[in-house]
Amino acid sequence: MRPFAYRRPADARAAVEAALDAPRAMYLGGGTNLVDLMRLGVAEPDLLVDVAGLPYDTIRETGDGGLEIGGAVRNSDLAAHPAVRRDRPMLAQALLSAASGQIRNAATVAGNLLQRTRCAYFQDVSKPCNKRIPGSGCPAIEGDHYNLAILGHSAHCVATHPSDMAVALTAFGAAVHVEGPGGRREIGMPGLHRLPGDRPEVDTVLDPGDLITGLTVRPLPFAARSRYRKVRERASFAFALVSVAAALDVEDGTVRDCRVALGGVAHAPWRAERLEEALRGRPATEGSYAEAADAELDLAEPLRDNAYKIPLARKVIVRTLAELGG
Amino acid sequence: MTMTPAKVPRELDSPLDGGVGESRRRPDGTLKVTGEFAYSSDLWLEGMLWGVTLRSPHPRARIRSIDVSEALAHPGVEAVLTHEDVPGFKFYGLEHKDQPVLAIDQVRYQGEPVALVAADHPEVARRAAAKIKVDYEVLTPITDARRAAFDPDCEKVHEDGNVVRHQPVIFGGDVAEARAGADVIVSETFEVGIQDQAFLGPESGLAVPGEDGGVDLYVATQWMHSDLWQIAPCLGLPEEKVRMTMAGVGGAFGGREDLSMQIHAAMLAMRTGKPVKIVYNREESFFGHVHRHPARMRYEYGATRDGKLVFAEAEIILDGGAYASSTPNVVGNAASLGVGPYKIPSIRVDAYGVYTNNPPCGAMRGFGAVQACFAYESMMDRMAAALGLDPVTFRQINAAHPGDALATGQVLEHMAPLAEMLGRLKAMPMPPERDAAGHDLRELPGGVSNTTHGEGVRRGVGYGVGIKNICFSEGFDDYSTARVRLSIIGGEPTVLVHTSAAEVGQGLVTLKAQIARSELGVRRVTIAPADNQVGSAGSSSASRQSYMTGGAVKVACEAVRERMFKLFEERLGRPPASLAEAVEHLPEVLGDEVIDETREFHHHRTERMDPVTGQANSHTQLAICVHRAVVDVDVELGLVKVVELAAVQDVGKIMNPLSLEGQIHGGTAQGLGLALMEEIVVADGKVRNPSFTDYLIPTILDMPPMRLDILEYADPRAPYGLRGAGEPPTLSSTPAIVAAIRDASGLALTRVPVRPEHIAGSS
Amino acid sequence: MERGETAVRAEIALRVNGEERRVVADTRTSLLDLLRERLGLTGSKKGCDHGQCGACTVLVDGRRVNACLALAVAHQGADVVTVEGLADGDEPHPLQRAFVENDAFQCGYCTPGQLCSAVGVLAEAARGWPSHVTADLAADGVELDEAEIRERMSGNICRCGAYPGIVAAIREAAGGGTAR
Repeated sequence: MRPFAYRRPADARAAVEAALDAPRAMYLGGGTNLVDLMRLGVAEPDLLVDVAGLPYDTIRETGDGGLEIGGAVRNSDLAAHPAVRRDRPMLAQALLSAASGQIRNAATVAGNLLQRTRCAYFQDVSKPCNKRIPGSGCPAIEGDHYNLAILGHSAHCVATHPSDMAVALTAFGAAVHVEGPGGRREIGMPGLHRLPGDRPEVDTVLDPGDLITGLTVRPLPFAARSRYRKVRERASFAFALVSVAAALDVEDGTVRDCRVALGGVAHAPWRAERLEEALRGRPATEGSYAEAADAELDLAEPLRDNAYKIPLARKVIVRTLAELGG
Repeated sequence: MTMTPAKVPRELDSPLDGGVGESRRRPDGTLKVTGEFAYSSDLWLEGMLWGVTLRSPHPRARIRSIDVSEALAHPGVEAVLTHEDVPGFKFYGLEHKDQPVLAIDQVRYQGEPVALVAADHPEVARRAAAKIKVDYEVLTPITDARRAAFDPDCEKVHEDGNVVRHQPVIFGGDVAEARAGADVIVSETFEVGIQDQAFLGPESGLAVPGEDGGVDLYVATQWMHSDLWQIAPCLGLPEEKVRMTMAGVGGAFGGREDLSMQIHAAMLAMRTGKPVKIVYNREESFFGHVHRHPARMRYEYGATRDGKLVFAEAEIILDGGAYASSTPNVVGNAASLGVGPYKIPSIRVDAYGVYTNNPPCGAMRGFGAVQACFAYESMMDRMAAALGLDPVTFRQINAAHPGDALATGQVLEHMAPLAEMLGRLKAMPMPPERDAAGHDLRELPGGVSNTTHGEGVRRGVGYGVGIKNICFSEGFDDYSTARVRLSIIGGEPTVLVHTSAAEVGQGLVTLKAQIARSELGVRRVTIAPADNQVGSAGSSSASRQSYMTGGAVKVACEAVRERMFKLFEERLGRPPASLAEAVEHLPEVLGDEVIDETREFHHHRTERMDPVTGQANSHTQLAICVHRAVVDVDVELGLVKVVELAAVQDVGKIMNPLSLEGQIHGGTAQGLGLALMEEIVVADGKVRNPSFTDYLIPTILDMPPMRLDILEYADPRAPYGLRGAGEPPTLSSTPAIVAAIRDASGLALTRVPVRPEHIAGSS
Repeated sequence: MERGETAVRAEIALRVNGEERRVVADTRTSLLDLLRERLGLTGSKKGCDHGQCGACTVLVDGRRVNACLALAVAHQGADVVTVEGLADGDEPHPLQRAFVENDAFQCGYCTPGQLCSAVGVLAEAARGWPSHVTADLAADGVELDEAEIRERMSGNICRCGAYPGIVAAIREAAGGGTAR
């Protein structure tokens, strides 16, 4: 691990200023991903700006049924919040399916969003990786990729985003609050995370110095019936091969509205917009769900060893929707 | 002045009661739950240096040159060593001394140690190691074990050829003739991936230079004397100048049979004159010890229509990787136990251990019997299906009984009949059926709610049988030594038990105290730390320590008892009426005297396998475990939930019920890991997943409840009639689980581990 | 020293097992290394140093976390409890006693982490926190049955496979009887 300076600013403005002070400054939240990457030599910050202690550690219910979540809120606290458990089960389930109890206790919401990929080549500094060293190549395309992307990947990168929480937030269309050098702004989800294209080293649309201070989950009453399903290789404490966050609004046997996002399949949490569009107004039947899933998965371009993810995703989508829609 | 590190092992006081056959608490239990128990990674000496190993990034390369000058100039660095600095013999190894202490002119696997650095801080040592310039001429690695073995044009990993050992076993009549008489013939090729021991306490230890030019080594190992016999020649020291003390062992499972950091730390300590500690991190640990051999196994069985096997033929290729380690003995086990405990009139097995540039493989729990067990049990299921027979019935028809011979001609004796064990297993209650409506979602594959509500889920049941040799085989005299000292301390008779045997978690310290208490009738028993001031105890492997070190403690106690009785008679003019009376009068009889006896215990002799026919009484003792697995498989998503595992095992004599259950649970869990998730993925000789994120180990949620039926068919040659118990469950759980998945999914599943992508979409 | 190689040191004050401790350490020091190498508290174990095994689990301000992923410098003023601090004087913590009684370990390397994690699990359950296997997320209380214990403890790997004993020990300490 490279030496680094450490600062603990008093507020967001000071944090942003501090982060612009050093060429390789990074924000530190719970550290559960960043410290790991530093130890691997993947991340080599020269300055850590500790933002875990900033006053963004509260969850507030807005009058209209929405939720304001501070960026420094710990994953376990968010999962345990009554408004999340009661009104947004897919978010609670996504959080609770992730990592371990210990990690959830430390990891922050902002840090969770900004996790980096678990692609084995990215994590191994002895290997080339376009995400780690732009232009060095992507050995995963020809190598070991059974757990990597089937959607939205490029000739430069086939990594997946590891977060479960971000999948649920993408289904909700959460808005991310950013405090940056140019002031405050909001970024919608999807929209925070990028697809790799020819710049896989850039995970998100954030600029240097941008700090996620929190997010807003606007009211979505039908999300009281929502679910997060995750397929993994071990019963617990493993990353998703495929996951689905879904909320369904059914009236008189017809799908009025729906929200579906996929995890473990792309460089970003994948909002299944085609699926949603194909499903709105259709009868709430397994046939509709399957057709809608296919509309989305027609976009898939599997690699040599991960085509299994397409039928897998299809099955999980259909099952999840069938459970919600009856 | 001798420097003694902080956090060294100390004497353990055993609980004050509990003899053989009782569930007693571990004497080290309190230390382990308070954090005081000193593991090898906890060793500490003021002013010590930290050693780091530079390893090869290439699986095969010539070394043109090594330039250490920049590393040596790095501030804080005290020594940088290469093969030129090895003081004595430059090679070591368990069977063949084929492994260089540090690479000489070439590397044969990714992760091979090339150079060493000692510095005042581990981070400094790592930085300096990165500055060592090794000029490699990278060569194409030899990675196909079958080709390495059979293709005469294949390049050689070592000069003397790629086959480490070929062991045939030819039993009974001619296989070709028997084939002609078979009504049904089935054949299949099976594969087993590389499993890692993945003990949680990585390799670590401390070397302290002695004033006599020798060295004190504090290490976590399975067999201290075997370490010593390899270390001393490489250091150019007589054995008495290498003083070894067992530090706390954070799991072993075979992975500490070979040397790791021992010689390296000693070299750095001797060069710098300062204590040197080496601790591997998790990634390095994946490169720092041998793994379970991956295997490719071609099997063919023939049977008559009424369900009797008439022949079995098998070719087992075990990829030993770059160095021999214990490959020769792994091959011996695979060959001799290659068709399991079945009575088959004609058998031909060819087992090969092969050098490649893949990761070196050696001992892991089950040792050569695991791979073949997956194959022969899969064959038993396949043949049963071809014959339309129930898999248990088919096994019972062909089960070898006491008095029957195995493939090597060795006759099964003094053990539970397999057919009866299978009958008991099948008769054990089944877990409740999944209720289509009101089932507990948490019991389904994928856990609660999140993947299934029962759709796509099918239940399957499978059986597995495994036979394992206990103690070392093939003529090896793996004796054990125990010293037992009886004295009066504070008016109370106190026994000190001293051996060099490794407590690796199996509970040997508990057992030693139980035996001493039973044999000597005293309450107070203390266990001395293990060191080489007493003779060899052999390895804590091959399920052998209860038998061998248990046996040594027993005979040493008997010698002490004899003297105790004699003293009683001398002082009191009559023999004691009972052991209890002798102990009662011990304070007056013994006074300040001490009875101190050291004894060796040897098991009965075994024979080497005939190099052509494999025939021999090669095994000391044999043990069978049978498993039944009940699984729910989500055939659409490929998820497996092991609902229950049941096992019947013959242990000869239950020495400590609680410890025994622990061994069966643990062995079964590792078999479950091999069945469902554990594999070191290697491509072009390079390891892809040296981390616990990518090498998955079963969690507490993956391991189901177990139902156990433990039998005691005493073996009259073994102390107390006991039979080694730690390994057999590791064998049979894997094929039982895979058989259950096949039962549920209808898939052939010829390779382990079976992962979701192998099952998904099979509906 | 080359550029960017100079270690940065910071004074770190925290409370460990009830004692105020003050250490000057490199900013790179993990809480685990601080405990083990600077404070001599080697009970917490390093199994993977990447948060994947749970052997380093300690309680920070009452919550279980992986000490290997926690930077010491980021824990100014924290209240840390390690396995060495679980007992109440000479009186072992009920979980420590239950682990011994149920033979909930073999090699014992994972045990300090298992114990601290279990203490955290009991506290989380007492607060009514749900887990991935909690059927009714909206329910107020949670009963620590076998499935709940297993899911909540899944961040602590035991390679010896002493899982049945661990479940039994935690059930016992949670007041749920001794079924195993």
